[in-house]
Amino acid sequence: MELGTFIQSLLNGLSIGSVYAIFALGYTLIFSILGIINFAHGAVFTLGAYFTYFLIGGVNNGTGVLTNLGLPFGLPFVLATLLGSLLAGGVGVILDRMAFRPLRARGADPLLALVLSLGLALLLVNLAQYLIGAEILSFPSNVYGDWLPPAINFGSTENPIPVRGVQIIIFTVSMFVVVILTLLINRTKIGKALRAVAENATTANLLGISTERFILFTFFLSGFLGGLAGTLVATSFSISGPYFGVTYGLKGLAVIVLGGLGDIPGAVVGGLVIGLAEAFVPGDFSAYKEAVAFALLFVILLVRPQGLLGRKVIQKV
Amino acid sequence: MLELKNLCVNYGGIQALKDVSLTVKTGEVVCLIGANGAGKSTTLRAISRIIRPKSGSIIFNNTDVSRFEAAHVVRLGIAQSPEGRQVLSRQSVRDNLEMGAYVRNDNEINADIDLQFQRFPRLLERQNQLAGTLSGGEQQMLAIARALMSRPKLLLLDEPSLGLAPIIVKEIMGIIDTLRESGMTILLVEQNARLALQHADRGYVLEAGNLIFDGNAKDLLDDPRIKKAYLG
Ligand SMILES: Nc1ncnc2c1ncn2[C@@H]1O[C@H](COP(=O)(O)OP(=O)(O)O)[C@@H](O)[C@H]1O
Ligand SMILES: [Mg+2]
Repeated sequence: MELGTFIQSLLNGLSIGSVYAIFALGYTLIFSILGIINFAHGAVFTLGAYFTYFLIGGVNNGTGVLTNLGLPFGLPFVLATLLGSLLAGGVGVILDRMAFRPLRARGADPLLALVLSLGLALLLVNLAQYLIGAEILSFPSNVYGDWLPPAINFGSTENPIPVRGVQIIIFTVSMFVVVILTLLINRTKIGKALRAVAENATTANLLGISTERFILFTFFLSGFLGGLAGTLVATSFSISGPYFGVTYGLKGLAVIVLGGLGDIPGAVVGGLVIGLAEAFVPGDFSAYKEAVAFALLFVILLVRPQGLLGRKVIQKV
Repeated sequence: MLELKNLCVNYGGIQALKDVSLTVKTGEVVCLIGANGAGKSTTLRAISRIIRPKSGSIIFNNTDVSRFEAAHVVRLGIAQSPEGRQVLSRQSVRDNLEMGAYVRNDNEINADIDLQFQRFPRLLERQNQLAGTLSGGEQQMLAIARALMSRPKLLLLDEPSLGLAPIIVKEIMGIIDTLRESGMTILLVEQNARLALQHADRGYVLEAGNLIFDGNAKDLLDDPRIKKAYLG
């Protein structure tokens, strides 16, 4: 492989991989606290992108019941992204309050929560389809502002290695989020309490830590990360419709299984590994790119069933 | 300080506690002894609201504990060092102590951590180690130190001697004596009846969910029925 192509694939892989990472962290957080996979996470990803799209003043050119409508105002993109992700976090909170918590209170089997989350995913997707429609919605190409060049040259004038500016932004933002989240979880009182709940809810209770509050916080954080990932990906491509998040939802699962279920650094490494693997798929096979994550998953799990960084025995609450 | 009245606890259909009534007065060390499965831990779990009793009441300093969530009981001033230590194995010793002070917001937390390190010098050496890598005795010390970090009015200790070498047990019982001298109120649960009675003011004996004896620790140590069944 030529050096230029190599560097290009590397940067593109890191960029998409870093979004996979923050998206997958949303799964990981909930898994480590509740021992369930929230299949609605992919739908939250889609909603996050929609929220930001409308918050910057985007008009719905889909054919849903809200066709041709938009908000009467448009926020600056950074603010819209933040608010859109917060709203996605709010969706996470609502999902827990209305669906997961009642099940928990009845002491239902975690498998039921899993099935419920699948149902919620369908519900959210169908709701989006009804309200917005199935059409593609695109962010303006200069959504990050005119200061960001469409492509940045990582090579020389003779041997250009162009990488899209959006990719660099996505990588920077995602990695920043990973660092902040890691600090939050490892260094702050809230983070330590969250880990206490994840390790042993009863012990956490004995220390005065309210499990339910932290579960709610986890759903919020998870939704926020999902929504932010959705917005970032949508600015790089577009919102392909209500099913936008489905592929990412599945890939996110591959990421967390690959990294080790419930393991935070594992989700980051897993995301980057899958992003890179996809980026290095030769052009002739790019139609099969989506299968790469799962092929990789299959191979790695044969060698390391606990995932790349996972503990031998999965501990959960 | 603490008064249990006719406490009944069921697990599914099984009755684990039947009409248990006991009191702990301020400054006392009271021990609750009995064989494995007698219902000692169940009593402590009910006090900490980890489980809901079927009937009966738990009054702590004139407050009905049943009005509160488990997480709030610590704020009332009741801390528990649970059976099996239950340290946060994936967090450092120091972080475990910090989490013990979770309900506090004052600025003396670090000073209190130093106080625990004076009390348990072994923990000082290992303050940055993951709690899961400590020995059983060190984990027990951490569990007690962590409970003390909330500055409790009442300390519940569940089998602090279980599975530990005699020399470590001696060290831990020494700490309990020191706490007692400093005026701490303690409800001590032990299978090792002789040990518990030697370090307590009063004792209760639990058998299959029923309180069958109670009295001064010294009297219980001399009681022939107790000698036969528990001090053998
Ligand atoms: N979670 C539980 N579910 C069902 N039965 C339990 C549970 N915990 C304890 N028990 C039963 O309740 C009784 C009292 O247990 P416990 O309070 O742990 O006893 P002790 O601490 O005195 O050894 C025992 O018969 C035990 O088997
Ligand atoms: Mg017990």
